[in-house]
This record gives sequence, C-alpha cells and structure tokens, in this order.
Amino acid sequence: MGLFTELKDSISRVTDRLFSEEEPKRIGIYGPPNAGKTTLANRIARDWTGDAVGAESHIPHETRRARRKEGVEIERNGKSVEIDIVDTPGVTTKVDYEEFTDEMEEDDAIRRSREATEGVAEAMHWLREDVDGVIYVLDSAEDPITQVNTMLIGIIESRDLPVLIFANKIDLDDASVKRIEDAFPQHETIPLSAKEGENMDEVYENIAEYFG
Amino acid sequence: MPHECTNCGRTFPDGSKEMLSGCPDCGGNKFQFAPAARAATDSSESAATQASDSTGNSGGNAAGTADDAGTVERAAETVRDWVSSGTNRSADASATDADDSTVGGDDSTAVSSDPASAAAAAGSTPADGTQRDRSADDRAERSWPASDEPSDGAEATPAGEFEEWPETARRPEDRSPSETDSPSTSETDASSASASPSASTMDASSPASSATSAAEPADSTSESIMADSENDAQADARSEVVSTNDLPDSPPQHDRGPDAAATPDEKTPPSDGRVVSEPSGEQPSIEELREELNEQFESIKIVSPGQYELNLMELYNREEYIISLQEDGRYVIDVPDSWRDGEE
Repeated sequence: MGLFTELKDSISRVTDRLFSEEEPKRIGIYGPPNAGKTTLANRIARDWTGDAVGAESHIPHETRRARRKEGVEIERNGKSVEIDIVDTPGVTTKVDYEEFTDEMEEDDAIRRSREATEGVAEAMHWLREDVDGVIYVLDSAEDPITQVNTMLIGIIESRDLPVLIFANKIDLDDASVKRIEDAFPQHETIPLSAKEGENMDEVYENIAEYFG
Repeated sequence: MPHECTNCGRTFPDGSKEMLSGCPDCGGNKFQFAPAARAATDSSESAATQASDSTGNSGGNAAGTADDAGTVERAAETVRDWVSSGTNRSADASATDADDSTVGGDDSTAVSSDPASAAAAAGSTPADGTQRDRSADDRAERSWPASDEPSDGAEATPAGEFEEWPETARRPEDRSPSETDSPSTSETDASSASASPSASTMDASSPASSATSAAEPADSTSESIMADSENDAQADARSEVVSTNDLPDSPPQHDRGPDAAATPDEKTPPSDGRVVSEPSGEQPSIEELREELNEQFESIKIVSPGQYELNLMELYNREEYIISLQEDGRYVIDVPDSWRDGEE
C-alpha cells in the first residue's frame, strides 16, 4: 500500500506540473532568519484570504516549522494565479541559544534553538521535495552576500526553480536595495516593506506574472 | 570597473590597493567583482569611457589572471627543466620519483641479484620497470643535450650507455636520498633498503661501461657538468619548488665525480628533510582528512546543547526528513509511509 501511495504521489506530482494552471503552485518563502518571511506571508495571506499564516517576532527563529497557506489566489492585471504559500523557518548554518537568552529563560532558549535547527532541516527538506517556486526574502539593511544566501540561491538555481528576490524592510534607514540587486544580478529583485505594506502592488504583479 | 564597493558603488580598477584599507568614500569593506557587461550598464555614473575600458579589461583580466598563473607555472617548469637538464622534473619528477623509489625496492632487489654479471646489471636496469623506462626516456631526452657535448668527443657508443645512465642515474638519485633517509620513517626505510641496491646497480653499470671503453670519463664529465648546472640552478629552483627528486639527483654523481662531491652535501640534507616530512606527514593527514570528512558529512553538529552547526548541503541532500533532534546527537527521522505501513 505504501508503495502504491508513493507511486500515486509521484504521479500526481507529475500531473501537477503538467496541468500547473489547474493545480496551485507551491511557493516557498525562503531566506535567512529575521528577514521578514512570516511578515510577508502574513501580508500576502491577509490581503488575499483574510487569514494570517503565523506569529511574527523580532526574535530570530520565531518560525520553526514550515507553515502552509493553501489556495491563495492573487489577481493582477487580469492575470490570476493560485498558489500555496509555504512559510519556512529561517535558514542558517549556526544556531546558538545564547542569541535568545536576553529574551527568555535559558531552558526556553535552548529549546528554541533545537527547534530552530530542526526547522532549518525541514526547510531544506521542503526545498528539495516540495516547492515549485521560491520567494527569497532578504533584509535590505543586511549584507546579502553570505554563505547561506549564496548557497541557497545556488541550490535553487541548480534545481531550475523560478525565484524572485524580495528586498524587504526598505522602510529601514540603512536599507540598500542596490546591494541586493548587485549581489544577485541574475534574478529579479523587488523592493518592499512587508511590515509597512510598501510596494505590494509590484510584489503581486511579479508573483502573478512569474509564478502564473 | 572590475571592483565595486557594495555599499556606495564606488568602483576600483583591477589590482587597486585602495580597497585594501576599505572604501575611501564610505568606509565599506565589502567589494564585488563587477562583470564586464554589468559594469558597463551599472557604472553609468562613473565615466562611460572607463566602463567601456573596463569591460575590455575586466574580461581580459579574468582571462589574464588565469593565463598568468598558467604561464608562470609553465615558465617555472621550463626553467626547472632547463636547469636540471633532465634530472629535475619538478612536479613530474617528484611523482615519478616517488613511484620509482617505491617500485624501486622490488626492482632494485632484482637488479642486485643480477649484478653477478656487471654488464647484465646495466642491461637489467632498463628491463626493471616500465615506469622507470618512461621516466628514463624523459630523462634521457633531457639529459641528452647536456651529455651530448662531452660525449661527442668521447664516443658514439655511449649513446646506449647514456640511455642506461639516465635510468640508473635516476634510480640512484631516488635511492640515494632514501639512503640518507634511513633515519626517517618506516616507509623511507623500505625505500632506503631499495636505495642501497640501486646504488649498487649504479656502481655495477659504471664498471661495465669502464670495461667496455673509456666511457667512464666521458660519463663522469657529463655528469659533473650536469651536476654543476644543477647545483646552481637547482638551488634556486628548489628553493622555489620543493621536489624531493632534485635533491637525490646529485648523490649518485658524487659517488663518481669529485666535482659533485661538494654538491651532494648541499643537496642531500634538504632532500632528507623533505623526504622525511612527506611520509611522516601523510599518516596524520589521513586521519585529519577523515575527521574533516566526518564533519563535512554530518548534517547537524551539536556543539553543545542549544548550539548547533548545520551543513546545509548535507541537509538538502538528505532524503530523510528530520523531525526532531536529541541532545545526544541523534535525530528522529521521519520514516517513509511505505515502511510504516509494512511494519504495522
């Protein structure tokens, strides 16, 4: 039976790709911790379905399990695209509970750290198996040239997944969209502030066009 | 412009030292190498002419750097070949020599048994190892020009001897260092054991040549010349490139030529040091390598409870889905449905 269901899954996955217009594409929201992935996912979900996806926090690794919002229909300029949004835990190469000890008890910090690590593993697993496209969210105020970003973008490219780079937090003073554009010139970079709702029109246009 | 400050966008020409102390404009310390095409479009702020120039340059530079490296290596090699005139084959020689020395143990023993007939020893040397033959051929070719000058006056026959010579010369080179190596590790000991017989082959061959004709003096002169040229040039070449082979080359010569006597001292000690270091270094390095590999293949490394280092590529490549992590370093892994069904 298990083999059969697995077979069915893989077949349905193939048919998903064949009839992509009918089946919603699964778009993974990826990026380093605290780039604003959940804020963006919530913004998109609220704008188009009225619900939120998950809790946001200024403390990194608030999202420690991938969360999915299915059937988000985005319409732009007559184009309509239905996507499943997967908000993934922030990807990093190091997790240290001492980052959180200012904000919580040590036990909680250690648990958060462990869950965050599991979350990274889960995010990488999703990237391998379960996403049809990627929205890569970066904090415009941070240096985009990091090992994690380079590696993830490289993996995404190697899989030929469509990817949009979102230069988030443009409301911050030291935000630099150009820095992100320069870092990944091979991809479309869209500036936005998910928190303030800035430039969301362009965001939706690009999502509709790119993943439609 | 090949380099660009990622902060303020200021551009720097390739090789600029300004960037080394940070961007003079904004103090930023992140720079990126701007591809020619993008530089042309992006750096419209900066002089367009510069950009166009840079496009040419940057493209050229990228290729140029690679070329430079290549040419430098090649130049170094040719110089080494020149200088050593066959005896030194820096990288090649080291590789071949290593093979020779290790293989040499067996061959040399065979040779040593042969020496009963000194003439046979000379003949046996070419027969010894195919590897040696190849290397010998290479050396013969290189040694030829050097040997030709003195040998011309001596005889035409030496050709055959010369062919033998390079082979034997190399072996003794390889072995002679190994002889000196004896204090080193077990590996070197084995080679040293082989080395002594090789030396004997050398001796055997030389008497053989002497018996045939006045070839000896011709050989010795050629060798001494070789040795001299090697001494000066090798000193430089070796200082740049560490090749164990180079050093061994001289020792066989000092056996015969008084001229070479001065050189072997200089050459042998460095050769010993290098030979010793190589084998001894290998064993620990293998363990280190293994550790490194283990670390690399561990997808999640628990530094301490609450502190983790993650190997993203390994996590990405992992088929299983880790659903929870234990502090003892174990993972709880999601078992595929098919398995679960089977168990249940």
